[in-house]
Amino acid sequence: MPDREAEPDAYRIRCPKLGGEVTFAYCRWEQGELPCSRVILCWQTHFPVQAYLKDRLSDDEWDSCFNTPPRDKMTTLLELIEAAKQRKDTAS
Amino acid sequence: MKQVKIFLDESEMPRQWYNILADLPTPMSPPLHPGTGQPVGPDDLAPVFPMNLIEQEVSTERWIDIPEEVLDVYTLWRPSPLYRARGLEKLLDAPVKIYYKNEGVSPPGSHKPNTAVAQAYYNKAFGIKRLSTETGAGQWGSALSMACQMFGLECRVFMVKVSYEQKPFRGLMMKVWGANCIPSPSDKTQAGRSVLAESPDSPGSLGIAISEAIEDAVGDPDARYSLGSVLNHVLLHQTIIGLEAQKQLEKIGVYPDIVLGCAGGGSNFAGLCLPFVRDKIHGKDLTVIAVEPTSCPTMTRGPFAYDFGDKAQTTPLLAMHTLGHDFVPAPIHAGGLRYHGMAPIVSHLAKEKIIECQAYDQLRTFEAGIKWAQTEGFIPAPETNHAIAAVIQEAVKAKEEGKEKTILFNWSGHGIIDLAAYDAYLSGALQHYEMSDEELARALKAIEGLPKP
Repeated sequence: MPDREAEPDAYRIRCPKLGGEVTFAYCRWEQGELPCSRVILCWQTHFPVQAYLKDRLSDDEWDSCFNTPPRDKMTTLLELIEAAKQRKDTAS
Repeated sequence: MKQVKIFLDESEMPRQWYNILADLPTPMSPPLHPGTGQPVGPDDLAPVFPMNLIEQEVSTERWIDIPEEVLDVYTLWRPSPLYRARGLEKLLDAPVKIYYKNEGVSPPGSHKPNTAVAQAYYNKAFGIKRLSTETGAGQWGSALSMACQMFGLECRVFMVKVSYEQKPFRGLMMKVWGANCIPSPSDKTQAGRSVLAESPDSPGSLGIAISEAIEDAVGDPDARYSLGSVLNHVLLHQTIIGLEAQKQLEKIGVYPDIVLGCAGGGSNFAGLCLPFVRDKIHGKDLTVIAVEPTSCPTMTRGPFAYDFGDKAQTTPLLAMHTLGHDFVPAPIHAGGLRYHGMAPIVSHLAKEKIIECQAYDQLRTFEAGIKWAQTEGFIPAPETNHAIAAVIQEAVKAKEEGKEKTILFNWSGHGIIDLAAYDAYLSGALQHYEMSDEELARALKAIEGLPKP
């Protein structure tokens, strides 16, 4: 059994969102400063990911990532449309 | 020689798609605009979708005609054959008949072009000249690239950079079909440039790629955005799979006891299952299962029990192999069917208990995929392996219960371009973490007292 607490960033897993193999480092920073919201679901059988992240995220970051209700796709799309419009307006 | 394949003639191909919104026992809540709080209207979506597709998105008509131009392209691979998996049946030695719809026969090798072709057609009919989209692994990007080529549209695909570098063949497929496949984040959009300014080596993410694809379409009157899953019109176009399957099974006088498909964004599951869900709503005795990915170790070590879907214990009880509802934080535990990427129609059917949900660990799905390849020959796409794992589970259950069952599932794509995923599995790069007995005991304490199925 490898020492899976030592260097988890290099561990590999198949990402169900991307459909390819990624390292834990990718999942850890998938949302910029924050991990992917699926990170615990995906990694819990590989190493104690919940404890690992608890040690490294602030309470606010933890809540933002894991205790915020997920938005549906339509909401996300509409937000992205508005954001894109604003970027275009600013650029012009 | 025993029959393995059941064909339909091209003239027997369904001429309409099925819209389940017409048959839902309880209506779905309309999506609300996050800015105004009002129900989303056509104008809100007009910057990214053509009006003919927006009309389909909100339509409650039960049957929607498939345009002749779309049927003409479908005939390149449709009707897809229905197979009986006699090799797997023999291996499992269970009282089950297993049928599957082979969607791997399409040019890009998956079910995705069923909607890509329709979307390209409707955009072309609306006067659009260019489509923009994002892709993760490249399955959707390659399907849309082919579809755009068929209708003379320009296609721009923002492919998550880490996938672009890992899967050069998918990118090459898109180029062969005339599309412009761009690694995301890119310098083509403000969204991409902002990411690159902060992190020049960013591997990208699906979120960034979506932002880029939408920005690329917004504000260009000749361009629109295209999405390969989740939305109502996408699921609608995929129903041709299940409608064909119903005709094929009718030819041999068979009706399934169990229908299932893997559910990432929902389109492949919905494509096969929604026409059968209609039968169920109208009284057929049928089990419909959506299979999603997880890495729950209790598939092998935990008890099969009813568990709440969230920590507040407000969601319906779900029968699952479980470590208990407080093992992981609430938004995560229930997995894909509550994650924002799941189709609202599929989530609604799960909430109404019209369909069941199962989740399988990736290692178990690859085991299933290998068994499949060694008995049925075809190498499945890794996503398809989830459905195969569920088929095997249901067969084992039927054997234990001594009940004869007929199982139908969606073999949604082949894995020839995903062999790197099999390499990762076979080389042992994907491993289980063995929970200690203490960790397991602590987790299981949370489900003490819950009913067992």
